[in-house]
Amino acid sequence: MIYFLAVIIFIILTLFLRFVIGIEPRTIVIFYLLGLIIFFFSFTVAEMPAFGSPDNPTFNEVPQRYLESGVSETGAVNIVSSVIIDYRAFDTLGEATVLFVAIAAVIATIKAH
Amino acid sequence: MPLSRRTERRGGGTAIEDQIVRITSRLVAPFIQVYGIYVILHGHLSPGGSFSGGAIFGASLVLVALSFNLETGAKQISHQLASGLESGGAFGFILTGLIAIAIGGNFLANRAAGFPMGQAGELFSAGAILIITVFVGIKVASTIVTLFYTIIEGEE
Repeated sequence: MIYFLAVIIFIILTLFLRFVIGIEPRTIVIFYLLGLIIFFFSFTVAEMPAFGSPDNPTFNEVPQRYLESGVSETGAVNIVSSVIIDYRAFDTLGEATVLFVAIAAVIATIKAH
Repeated sequence: MPLSRRTERRGGGTAIEDQIVRITSRLVAPFIQVYGIYVILHGHLSPGGSFSGGAIFGASLVLVALSFNLETGAKQISHQLASGLESGGAFGFILTGLIAIAIGGNFLANRAAGFPMGQAGELFSAGAILIITVFVGIKVASTIVTLFYTIIEGEE
């Protein structure tokens, strides 16, 4: 019953948009496609695990190891700093390389003309 | 003497010579720079670190160059020095990783390579983390300054 009502509302809405307001059929189709995408994305977000919940899959042995032995292994009190500069230092090297390449690209673009 | 007037600049655009902006930025800039150095040096102790501290330090240099003119900004740090420091920061980062190999360890290893660790929680501790933080901070600050100078001078 509710699906039937929904279809009726959609048909009335389409006829209203097309003939009363006077929107192009292509625009109406784009509207409905965007609405469909938002609908599916909302379902995807609703299926995600709750933020900060203790039984999330991200709470495994890796952050436990960082929190328990991060200070004794790296000597840094700041766990974030110990992760980005000690455990994941190679990733930070890549990040610095991205900065370097970005400024090289800017200099090459601006000085060229 | 009026507080603010518009003057012609070399590039053809106009710069606002505002006494309030100049005196305020001249007063505030040293404090911003000290705060940037503090954030960089305490990267392993408190929130912050190399990227945010370098951005704060670079923003203070850009502030002075914006409120005065490019010549005054170039007295603080010239374009060539900023470019050199930027390459030097990246080079120092890689060099720290290579030193870790030289004294026995993997690339960018910290405790395993035998860097002096010190007492956890003190300023000079955490071995390679402090060194790399300082190098990346220098690199980020000079990147911002180099970007600013390149875009400003690109008009000519």
